[in-house]
Amino acid sequence: MQIKYLLLTLVSLMALELNSFASNLKDSMSFGFNTYNDNADVNVYSPTFSLFKKVSHNWMLGFKMRIDGITAASISNGANGGHVDAVTGASANENIFDDIRYAPTLMATYDDGDNTLTFGGYYSTEKDYVGKSLFVNYVRQLNEQNTALGIGFSQSFDKWDPIFKRALPKDNRNERKLDLSINQLITPEFSIQGVFSYMYSEGFLSSPYHYVLQNDIAKFENYPDKRTGEAFSLKGVYLLNETNAMNVSYRYYTDDWDISSHTLNIEELHDFSHKLTSGLRLRYYTQTKSNFVQEIGNYQANDAYFATDYRMSAFDSYTIGIPFIYKVGRKDKLTASIDYYQTTKNDYIKSWYGVDSISAVFTTLNYEFDF
Amino acid sequence: MKTTSLLLLLALFMSACSEKLVRVMPYEKEYFAEDKMSLSPIAERAEQEGHIFLIREASAGGESSFQGGCGCR
Repeated sequence: MQIKYLLLTLVSLMALELNSFASNLKDSMSFGFNTYNDNADVNVYSPTFSLFKKVSHNWMLGFKMRIDGITAASISNGANGGHVDAVTGASANENIFDDIRYAPTLMATYDDGDNTLTFGGYYSTEKDYVGKSLFVNYVRQLNEQNTALGIGFSQSFDKWDPIFKRALPKDNRNERKLDLSINQLITPEFSIQGVFSYMYSEGFLSSPYHYVLQNDIAKFENYPDKRTGEAFSLKGVYLLNETNAMNVSYRYYTDDWDISSHTLNIEELHDFSHKLTSGLRLRYYTQTKSNFVQEIGNYQANDAYFATDYRMSAFDSYTIGIPFIYKVGRKDKLTASIDYYQTTKNDYIKSWYGVDSISAVFTTLNYEFDF
Repeated sequence: MKTTSLLLLLALFMSACSEKLVRVMPYEKEYFAEDKMSLSPIAERAEQEGHIFLIREASAGGESSFQGGCGCR
């Protein structure tokens, strides 16, 4: 019923006015390389590629490819180098990477200046997981392009195939997401955006590898098989002066597992020259625990749910980063970023990974050009 | 879906208030073409960290962008 409602809404919006005005589409290509490394022995190296090519005045086709080369993590809670990695699903072997994830995305975009419609599909394969998704997004410009209303919908049909043959209660994980957004220019130096997201997941929603180990209990994680969440975010970007801009965003998240969170992100960007822009970003995140996670050691054999993943517990995290934007020429640009991520101390992190908290560094490097 | 319906109605209402929402003339939009005035100044970072925060934290949403699923969550 929800899907029917959404399709009707999309068709209604599209029928508003699909004129052939000026298109904002352009041919472009990019090459990138991203990294992620943390103190739980998870290392990910990701080359990326994208190509967008106009096929007519109003239509463009796009292709994006991401490859994640993942090394195995170590587990202090009962696993060893020959066991399956708890986080990535990778198993230790003599290859450079323990798992490689291929994630292509194909999309098409229609744009006439006032209406932008994008739709496509995503496919991802790993040793133990296949992800398949369809997505569609529509943006309508209004009020002489001072206001933009957006609606997006995605549906995934993912499937688990654990490396060691374990009979899962369900092997699917389907996720549905609806995004509504509004952008509004307030002054020539200030714009805001509001986004509401509705998310619904069903299927096997925990990891097939995490387990609870107590004196008298050895149980795989088991979560409720449905989850509904909502998120509200508000963002603003404000020009402080000719060379400085401040970007601030806040998000509130809540779901029916009783997890709620607040996220605050602040970024200041400065033009060091007409080619180089850089600055500083700070992010703070705090979440409450789910309603089924228990203190370590407190589970009973007849409990309905078992959780040992720290993400089901309460914790905070902090991120600090430096972005770089370098305009090489009129039609090409080099961007880079480096961020440090740190969670607060957490008993579940200590129990599973053998460290007090998660510390990570992630970087991006990307070169993009129009042709 | 009640919240969704209310937000849709609010959006349609706001789109009708056109005169009051035309606040910046086309010739006044030069700053919005600059990278530092973008709500997401580095798209590659936004995509990368969107994926990382999904893996390392229990929250999602609030971004009008698509994130595909993976087994690391």
